[in-house]
Amino acid sequence: MLKMTHLSKAYRTEVVETFALRDFSIHVREGEFVAVTGPSGSGKTTFLTIAGLLEEFSGGEYQLDGANVRGLNDNQRSKLRNEKIGFIFQAFNLIADLNVQDNIDVPLRYRGFNGAERRRRIQEALGRVGLSARSRHYPAELSGGQQQRVAIARALAGSPRLLLADEPTGNLDTQMARGVMDLLEELHRDGATIVMVTHDPELAVRAQREVHIVDGQVVDMAPQPRLVEAAQAGS
Amino acid sequence: MELGPIISAMRRNKVGAIVVGVQMAITLAILCNALFIIEQRVALGKRPTGTDEANIVVITNQWAGHPTDLAAKLQGDLAALRSMPGVVDAFASNTYPLSNGGSSLNLKLNPEQRESTAQTALYIADEHGLQTLGLKLIAGRNFTADEVLDRMPGTNVPPSAVIVTRALAEKLFPGKNAAGQSVYSEYQKTLAPIVGVVDKLQVPWTQAGGFGSKFNDSSLLEPYRHEAPYGYYLVHAQPGQAVAVMKAAEKRLIEVNRARVLQKSQTLTEARAEAYKDDRGLVIILGVVCAALVAVTAFGIVGLTSYWVAQRRRQIGIRRALGATRTAIIRYFQTENFLIAAVGSIGGIGLALSLNLWMVTAFEMERLDTRYALIGAVFVLLLGQLAVLWPALKAASIPPALATRAA
Repeated sequence: MLKMTHLSKAYRTEVVETFALRDFSIHVREGEFVAVTGPSGSGKTTFLTIAGLLEEFSGGEYQLDGANVRGLNDNQRSKLRNEKIGFIFQAFNLIADLNVQDNIDVPLRYRGFNGAERRRRIQEALGRVGLSARSRHYPAELSGGQQQRVAIARALAGSPRLLLADEPTGNLDTQMARGVMDLLEELHRDGATIVMVTHDPELAVRAQREVHIVDGQVVDMAPQPRLVEAAQAGS
Repeated sequence: MELGPIISAMRRNKVGAIVVGVQMAITLAILCNALFIIEQRVALGKRPTGTDEANIVVITNQWAGHPTDLAAKLQGDLAALRSMPGVVDAFASNTYPLSNGGSSLNLKLNPEQRESTAQTALYIADEHGLQTLGLKLIAGRNFTADEVLDRMPGTNVPPSAVIVTRALAEKLFPGKNAAGQSVYSEYQKTLAPIVGVVDKLQVPWTQAGGFGSKFNDSSLLEPYRHEAPYGYYLVHAQPGQAVAVMKAAEKRLIEVNRARVLQKSQTLTEARAEAYKDDRGLVIILGVVCAALVAVTAFGIVGLTSYWVAQRRRQIGIRRALGATRTAIIRYFQTENFLIAAVGSIGGIGLALSLNLWMVTAFEMERLDTRYALIGAVFVLLLGQLAVLWPALKAASIPPALATRAA
């Protein structure tokens, strides 16, 4: 689903070149739930922006759903991003001037779906996150947990091949965070491929696999202990 | 098109949209009325007089003291002028086109008629008048020398014949040939036969909405020798010789008789420039005001949209992250501006028509042609689209990665 090979990302100034990612390789298979962890400044967010086609990379290869994304122009990247990727941001990133329904509608309009199809998808996505009754509410009228659920509904509505979550519970209290994580796990059980960037080890253990990044490089790609234990118990 | 969400977003941020919309409405109202006035004044300044303006010279003559034997003096002057090299013909009159001064008559078809049929400007001319002015005779004939009578100003000598313009003929005898008919002058209390019809001769007055504006092309020529202490010599020069003839004619007239003041000499081309000087000034002032207004509106849109872009940087980043292309972002701002401009234009059309209605009542202006309001609306819409382009391009350059940065 997502395969980066010897990928690098350098930020250049006139006097210095800083690598945010260096010789970075990762392979996320279809249906996997991967947590990307690492300390601050390790390159987690850079990885996410490149994985989400929000930024270009400097070197290496990146294949998304079997397609090489190197050299795509801005329009092609926007189209691919819209069709293949669903984003869940730490700050929810809902548009304050639009109600829940219109927020979920934003990527669907860019996708070019007709009105009936968009309405169907919006209702389905809202039903999935349990917010059907809130479709006319504005973000400011919702709790943080509800806002993040709307953001998840927006990410799901376009039936993306990959869900990219950036610290999805970072702005939520424990109870709301638990609800959001339960929802992500449920989506994963239903077959979604999820890559979640987090610095919280407690969240990371809920993923299938943890990829640890330090100084822009993958240092560990171990499966989660509970999954290893479960596998061993199964054998 | 994102009409629904854009309208929804605007309803939650009304003030900016209302300010721009009102500004556009006011711009439209002022712009189309100003352009309407400009167009009218430009057209006014270009109205043909019906004469061969480029080759006609006017010399204003005033005899000194209390001159006697004006008839002989007049004949002496005219003989001298007509014999000059470069002169096609010459005659003396009470007025000339573009002079902004003259006499008018109320005409009836018969003495019993209570209301006059037409109002007309009065030009005094002899048998040389038509050729001197370069008028085109379209029916009947010119005055004969026998028909031309002596007349001192203030005396009432009934005219032996008259020549009218086509416009006056149409008013007096719609659909008929006016040559051969008679017309009754209220002032002279006499019926005079119409012997000829000329294509066009503008009245002397030029002011927009002023005296003469309601009967602009209704002129009448009466066959008199203008034997007056004050009058105008009109001289038709050979093509391209007007200025030279004007200078030579002044010199010649002084040679004939020094007991006079040649107050002013000018070609009809110069007279036109002078007659419409105020209109040209108004056109320039209104043009500058319109340009300034358009610039202020355009900068207003640029400024407010730039502010909106700055305010919505994160939102734009989110839209880009969710799949909006740069074109989609530009289209968003253009659509938003179009909606504001459309509402502003509808209000502006209403405002423009109301403003015009007020000016019609207060200043006797003409009614605004609705096409001006519609063209103005299209212009305001295009202005909005043009003004919003730069901020929209700036918005489109916001990177999608902005969505991942902390709010």
